[in-house]
Amino acid sequence: MSSLATSCPDAGRWRAWLDEEPAGPTEELARHLAACPSCERLVHELRHNADVAAMALGGLATTRLPSAADVAAAREQLAAPRHLSPIAPVASFSKEEAPVSTRIVSTRTSTRTMFHRWRLAAGGVAAALALTALAVNPEGQALASRFLGQFRSEQFTVVEVSPQSQQAIQRTLQTLSNFGTVETPRRLNAQNEQNRPAVSLAEASKQVGFQVTEPDAKSLPASVDKTPKIQVMPGAQMRFKFEAAKARAYLQSQGQPNVDLPAKYDGATLVVGIPTAALLQYQAPGTSSREALVIGEAGEVTVGVEGGATLEELRDFMLGLPGLPKETVDQIKSIKDWSNTLPIPVPTDQVKWEKTDINGHPGLLLNDNSGVGSAAIFQAGGHLYGFAGSLKADALLNVARNTDLK
Amino acid sequence: MLNVADPPQQIANPAARFDALFQRFYAELYGLAYRLLGSRTEAEDTLQETFLKLSHAAGLMERPDPEVGAWLRRVCLNLGTNRLRDERRARERLERAGRLDFASSAGDAAGPSTLLLRAEERAAVRQVLLLLPERQRDCLLLRHSGYAYAEIAATLGIAIGSVGVLLARAERSFRDRYQEDVPS
Repeated sequence: MSSLATSCPDAGRWRAWLDEEPAGPTEELARHLAACPSCERLVHELRHNADVAAMALGGLATTRLPSAADVAAAREQLAAPRHLSPIAPVASFSKEEAPVSTRIVSTRTSTRTMFHRWRLAAGGVAAALALTALAVNPEGQALASRFLGQFRSEQFTVVEVSPQSQQAIQRTLQTLSNFGTVETPRRLNAQNEQNRPAVSLAEASKQVGFQVTEPDAKSLPASVDKTPKIQVMPGAQMRFKFEAAKARAYLQSQGQPNVDLPAKYDGATLVVGIPTAALLQYQAPGTSSREALVIGEAGEVTVGVEGGATLEELRDFMLGLPGLPKETVDQIKSIKDWSNTLPIPVPTDQVKWEKTDINGHPGLLLNDNSGVGSAAIFQAGGHLYGFAGSLKADALLNVARNTDLK
Repeated sequence: MLNVADPPQQIANPAARFDALFQRFYAELYGLAYRLLGSRTEAEDTLQETFLKLSHAAGLMERPDPEVGAWLRRVCLNLGTNRLRDERRARERLERAGRLDFASSAGDAAGPSTLLLRAEERAAVRQVLLLLPERQRDCLLLRHSGYAYAEIAATLGIAIGSVGVLLARAERSFRDRYQEDVPS
């Protein structure tokens, strides 16, 4: 390596230094910069060019990364890789089919994404809102629970998330598989969820385990049909099993070999239970497309741990993952009654929120920034409720307040 | 730290491996594709094509995740650039026919003239990107999407020590073109 005392670093080395990327001894570079007017001019220009690019390209970024539900929907739309073989590439469609299916996919994806957006604010899917970053798919059969339910959702609190934080959280939690094994429920068949069979109110009540109620029809605005289509989204579990050897190898590869990993964490499994949810979907009259109003009713979200670690210890470990935004971690850590408070992440660039009351039950009211959609989430009698639709907040709350909750 | 020396591992369950790769990389690739294309539908379609190619790439899924990620970014950038070029040609045809539609892909609450201005600015940035040499454009997009030098090097197939040089050139080229084509 040449001495910086006798030769100036090139533009590439200075550019890497500006990004704090590995580029040799940085103290020596800083000393050289302080003593070399030529390099000072070069670094000034490099910094200016970087700022221009950052400003221009920054305006291209999306404000909304795909949620776990969006990813699941996109995966479902991808017809091919159900029959993969390592021996020969196998696809379930021909090359001629692919472009056409892609065009169809884009239309169905938009409708499905819209459907998911309203679902996300409804009933037990309110739990999916809080857990989308953990890639929970709420479909699948409910599995037998073997854990101590150390967490039960009895109330909510908002965790405000900026666009930058959303991206950082998404990327950080996608590295969870480097610390162990993540198991998310799989679909048991290829049936499109929009074609899931409609059931009666009685059948839905039987499947969710409590009496599902409808709002008073008189409270429904004229913009929605009076008779809902009722579907049941089966409950499921997401499991994360911490594996010390895997975690150690990953941390070492990231230049952090000295992170303390207590032995009792090895094999500890975090289990998140998503309850079965009944969805009452009201469409706009005369249309078969987007739902105007969705009401979701579900049991509680539960979280527990199998193995030697406690829930608090695994919670603290996950909050300590590198890359999680400090403001998000601070908000979650400040939740006093965390063992029964469900954090609801709210993207502040897209949604406004306020506390509300539905017949004595405290909840949250969310409005998207376009002003044409709203959602309300609350808990009553041990059940989660969500109302969401293309309604103004007053109209939505009127429907919620005219629903006889058990 | 990327480890490209790992030997291929036989996969017991290729479908599960594909699902895991899809879950891991979809969202970040979406961010990259959206920056290039500015449209959710276009970004989603590009990703569908990208992952379809992965499903055809026998042997690739046996590689470690960082390698597969680099490959996916490469393919996503290539497909996205092709779409952007196709879109530019379509716009030029519409301009000639006097039927250009400035519908904005953003959904904010600004008025029509502000939306139009922002849409024009974003379109101008993307057109400048198209004028850059391929490697410079890709390096710029990757860096300003938050990727580390090691990831950029793996994606572009260059030495990590070359990323700074390429990025410096890319930003210089971008600045020159941007200030020439987009007067402030």
